[in-house]
Amino acid sequence: MNWQAIEWGAMLPELIVLGTSLLLILLDLFLRKTVSRRPLGFLALLGVAGAFSALVLQLHEPSIQLFHDMYRVDGFSKTFKMLLLIGTFLVLCLAYDAKLGREENVRGEFYYLILTALVGAMFMASSADMITLFIGLELLSVSSYIMAGLKKHDAQSTEAAFKYVVSGGIATAITLFGMSYLFGLSGETNLYSMAKALQETALPDQSYMLVFAFFITFTGLAFKIASVPFHMWAPDVYEGAMVPVTAFLSVVSKTAGFIFIIRFFVLVFMMSKGVNSDSLLQQVQPYIIWLSGITMLVGSIIALRQSNVKRLFAYSSIAQAGFILAAFSVFTPALFETMWFYLFAYVLMNIGAFAVIQEVTTRNNDTGMTSFEGLGKQSPWLALAMTIFLLSLAGIPATVGFIGKFGILIALLGYGGLHYVLAGILIAATLLSYVYYFNLIVQMYFRTGEVKEKRRSQKGLLIVTIVCAAATVIFGIVPNIALHFFYEQFSISTFLQL
Amino acid sequence: MNNVPLSGYLLLALVLFCIGLFGALTKRNAVIVLISIELMLNAVNINLVAFAKYGENPGLTGQIFALFTMTVAAAEAAVGLAILMALYRKRKSVHVDEMNHLKQ
Repeated sequence: MNWQAIEWGAMLPELIVLGTSLLLILLDLFLRKTVSRRPLGFLALLGVAGAFSALVLQLHEPSIQLFHDMYRVDGFSKTFKMLLLIGTFLVLCLAYDAKLGREENVRGEFYYLILTALVGAMFMASSADMITLFIGLELLSVSSYIMAGLKKHDAQSTEAAFKYVVSGGIATAITLFGMSYLFGLSGETNLYSMAKALQETALPDQSYMLVFAFFITFTGLAFKIASVPFHMWAPDVYEGAMVPVTAFLSVVSKTAGFIFIIRFFVLVFMMSKGVNSDSLLQQVQPYIIWLSGITMLVGSIIALRQSNVKRLFAYSSIAQAGFILAAFSVFTPALFETMWFYLFAYVLMNIGAFAVIQEVTTRNNDTGMTSFEGLGKQSPWLALAMTIFLLSLAGIPATVGFIGKFGILIALLGYGGLHYVLAGILIAATLLSYVYYFNLIVQMYFRTGEVKEKRRSQKGLLIVTIVCAAATVIFGIVPNIALHFFYEQFSISTFLQL
Repeated sequence: MNNVPLSGYLLLALVLFCIGLFGALTKRNAVIVLISIELMLNAVNINLVAFAKYGENPGLTGQIFALFTMTVAAAEAAVGLAILMALYRKRKSVHVDEMNHLKQ
């Protein structure tokens, strides 16, 4: 193999992030124990920003394949990597403010683990091979397990991490089991060759095996996006982990899971035949519709009974996963656009909300809903930002969340059949979500809480809330900027052809 | 030596996988739970290698995939055990049903 012949430039974003994380590992190892690890956060931010600019420079280059088509840099991977990088950048800003107390020594570890997790997620976005997809997924997962248990003197954090490892391990094994059958049926691991091989097989007993493989892989991947039937880990892990880690899990990790789902299922199963002559992905649509509906309802209904903010947001993020799955159930070319835009909206509003949650829960040293009491009087700007994020999560017009949800709803209504039922469930779940999102707003404005000591000005919090709130409103009013960008970059034909 | 058909290997892998899943979901001891997960991952390896040798479309990539799976399984087990150690230091117990301090 000729190493010079490989276009390493195409991997520049990943290489920058990887290099930064290696540098941070070495610095964290060799710096004296007494030196503050905070400046390392700047380095991590710089690395992510560098990767982002490298990605922007790539935007106008044609898509290419590397390593015998294992690795693709196409419109799909570029647009979704953008979401991952934006999300991680905002989470890193958030982490800069995080108060770790006597666990301050893990700050350096957090910075490089989040970068390795990001490399895994970006690898997934570019992979066109089961092996690389799997390695990316595991790099993300293993880093997340450690991040969840980073506060090792805190019993809650380690318990959350253990629950995460066990459910994650089971999910990985289930996904892999399905993948092994897919390998057996096609004899390939490259997604494009698999699709071609599976198209040719026409034996009826094989198609049952293919359906089995689909179900089992999908069940395993439900873990990463925290949807039914693999959602039970989310509340415990979200509650136990630090707020920046929770934000990372609920946004970047979930986005990566959806990237995996789109790339893998659309490519492999679109052409392959199911039990009768239809494409398999068409045939399993009812299954995805029911899963998505149940996910929305489970998330929204259980969220009504929560009194802990982090658990509330765990169930809210389960419901949001249901909304995005609803977009996946509509099998038209519009699927990519609606999913990308909703994930974009989700990155902005959810990280923004977690920024406010971090500030409020640190002030009160309590994660109960009551810690939001009287926030409207005490810190009007913070309360205003939180209101914007909550309205956007609830899907109120003039916010980016509304545009995203509207797109999904239109796509569902345009399809007909069982999708009408799902559209109904989506509206019902949205109405339910008003109850718990508006409950927080009521806490902020109509309840008086005791006056708490304000922390000195928080730079990370300031940046994250301003950027997220501004983007939530701006893209809610002129969503075409983002959509145009997506149309310019993404084309379904380059996604499908080798 | 070569008399075992493909379905024999697949059946073995399926049985191993189910035993692993059963163990991971029902056992009280956290170490057994981690071992059960390893069992599930090794069932995958049997599948992959069997398909790579006797499958409809045999190919070397299955064995490569199995190598990757083993490596990743080792990393996952290491992290899992490390987290279990940290938890054990706090709780002095490895029983899964005592890990209920996070609110339900």
